[in-house]
Amino acid sequence: MKLLNKARNIFLTITIAILFLMYSCGNDPIVPSDPVGKLKFEFYHLIDNSKIVFDSLIYFNEAGNKYLINEIQYFISDVEIHNDDGSSIILNEWNDIHYIDTDMESSQEYTFKEDISTGTYSAISFTFGIVDSKNESLMFVNPPHSFMFWPENLGGGYHYMKLNGKWINEDNLLAPFNFHLGRGQIYYSFPDSITDYIDNSFRINMQNVSYNIMADQTTTIVINMNMNKWFSNPNTYDHNYWGGDIMQNQEAMSHAIENGHDVFTYTLK
Amino acid sequence: MKKVIVIIFSLIILSIIGCEEKPSPTPYSPTPYNIDIPFGFPTDLNIPDDNPMTVEGIELGRFLFYDGRLSGRTHQDSLMSCATCHRQERSFEAGIDHPDFEDGHPHGISGLKTHHVMLPMINLVWNKTGYGWSGFLYPENQNVDMRNIEDMVRLAVLAKDEIDGDTTRIKNLFQSIEGYPELFGKAFGKEEVTFKNIERAIAQFIRTLISANSKFDGYMRGEVQFSPSELNGFVLFTTEEGADCFHCHGGYGNPLFTTHLFYNNGKDTIFTDPLDRYSITGNIMDHGAYKATTLRNIELQAPYMHDGRYKTLEEVIDFYAHDLNMSEQSDPLMHHIIYGGNQLTASEKEDLLNFIKTLRDDEFLTRKDFAIPDKFPDQK
Repeated sequence: MKLLNKARNIFLTITIAILFLMYSCGNDPIVPSDPVGKLKFEFYHLIDNSKIVFDSLIYFNEAGNKYLINEIQYFISDVEIHNDDGSSIILNEWNDIHYIDTDMESSQEYTFKEDISTGTYSAISFTFGIVDSKNESLMFVNPPHSFMFWPENLGGGYHYMKLNGKWINEDNLLAPFNFHLGRGQIYYSFPDSITDYIDNSFRINMQNVSYNIMADQTTTIVINMNMNKWFSNPNTYDHNYWGGDIMQNQEAMSHAIENGHDVFTYTLK
Repeated sequence: MKKVIVIIFSLIILSIIGCEEKPSPTPYSPTPYNIDIPFGFPTDLNIPDDNPMTVEGIELGRFLFYDGRLSGRTHQDSLMSCATCHRQERSFEAGIDHPDFEDGHPHGISGLKTHHVMLPMINLVWNKTGYGWSGFLYPENQNVDMRNIEDMVRLAVLAKDEIDGDTTRIKNLFQSIEGYPELFGKAFGKEEVTFKNIERAIAQFIRTLISANSKFDGYMRGEVQFSPSELNGFVLFTTEEGADCFHCHGGYGNPLFTTHLFYNNGKDTIFTDPLDRYSITGNIMDHGAYKATTLRNIELQAPYMHDGRYKTLEEVIDFYAHDLNMSEQSDPLMHHIIYGGNQLTASEKEDLLNFIKTLRDDEFLTRKDFAIPDKFPDQK
């Protein structure tokens, strides 16, 4: 009996020691944290408030060009969300460059990695394209991102956007247009002598958005790209004037970029 | 008490021993083969999970690729292998100077011509959008037998206009050839020859066929300079106001020199080919669209276009300069089409051609490990 009691004591001591060790080797003590939620963007591409019917020659821009859209591919980067109190959170610590492709459904949804503190937020901003300091050649080696490369002799890096379509031109022909935006060039003599390059990326600021991040939930914001806005306000962009390709035409690109300020709108889902 | 402890301790030891795997009677330990990613090339590879690359698999694949008995026949007149058409010196295409094919258009063992001319068999490990001119073999295909290079091997072996073989006969033949069963054992763990493993081995070898050491690659790495003509050709290649080849055929930022995507490049206005991209997508805008080929080693890969209509690169450059045909289906990237083409001058055409020739990779064309083995496993 004495022996049995002794064995029981040893067993209990060892068990307590193991439990103690398990507890002490575990994670840090759990401290109650602030409630957090997630933020997701969905990207819609609209003309006249409706989703684009691709390859359909049914659209008109402000200049009166009858046109169709075949595909849209673009980057947004450096997304920032703003609090009511004026402070802001930079998502993914500026490292995020997101690719959107109308032929790739998976690219049209994007959930940010961060846990975001709950509360009411009042604005969203992001860069259309990629700012010069980050827009480095060969930073993307895998498709489809790598297919967006912007040739070295035109400044390198990546297209901000490829918007491909066709319009009925002055000769009544269905002419292709490649509305491609990226780093611009200043020419001493066209096309051989380039003296400088221009960062054409720009910030999109969507104010008065007012959305809530709720604990353990994902808030979805639809980011709409309104295509006809690229072709109006303040500049009436006429394909007949600018032609089918503009990568080497800074004046055309700057008109497009000036129009870009109100291309994006948001909808809460 | 002591007895109980001894019994428990023994049981624990026994259970540990009992859980260990029994040694395999035939050790199967293939050596993993890792692809060295060339400078600027994608890191995403198309290697199916059920066919990892191994040194032994590639070695076997190389024998099979070159062995004429892949036709399942042994008579000298009936031999046909992958290499009958895919010649290393022509960058693994037939080439316009193929001794048996008129104008470089291949035909099968029966004399039946293939529907299209050949596509380059290089750098395929980076193709994730579909093999063939229409992209009919692609990784997400609902039909699991129509997805990858492995399937391409099987289809080529069975096709009337290619090897016209019989899989049972072929596997039985290779089972009987001295040396092969042992190689299958080393590559796949079983000496029994299966057609599935024949597909796998050849696909592994094909995935090693990487061309990435042309003059252009040296230029990218900062090791060599271009001549003024080559440099001007490169500028023309990569500018919209020039020839604008790069949107479909790549360049510095996409050294594959293809997007592996499908375009209607303005060859025709009436589309009657039942095996164009439309045959896969059902989208009427894909009539007359075909895969953009890689331009690496392109000077060796005539004839050009899906139907081999152009015999020289000069003809191709002339086509893009002056002879484009506008249709509802012509790709929007072909923006020069409203002028009939990019209107390059004679000297610009020459510069463009000189640049395209910098994509020739002589090392690739002569590498011993891509060439026909000195002897097959049965020493023949």
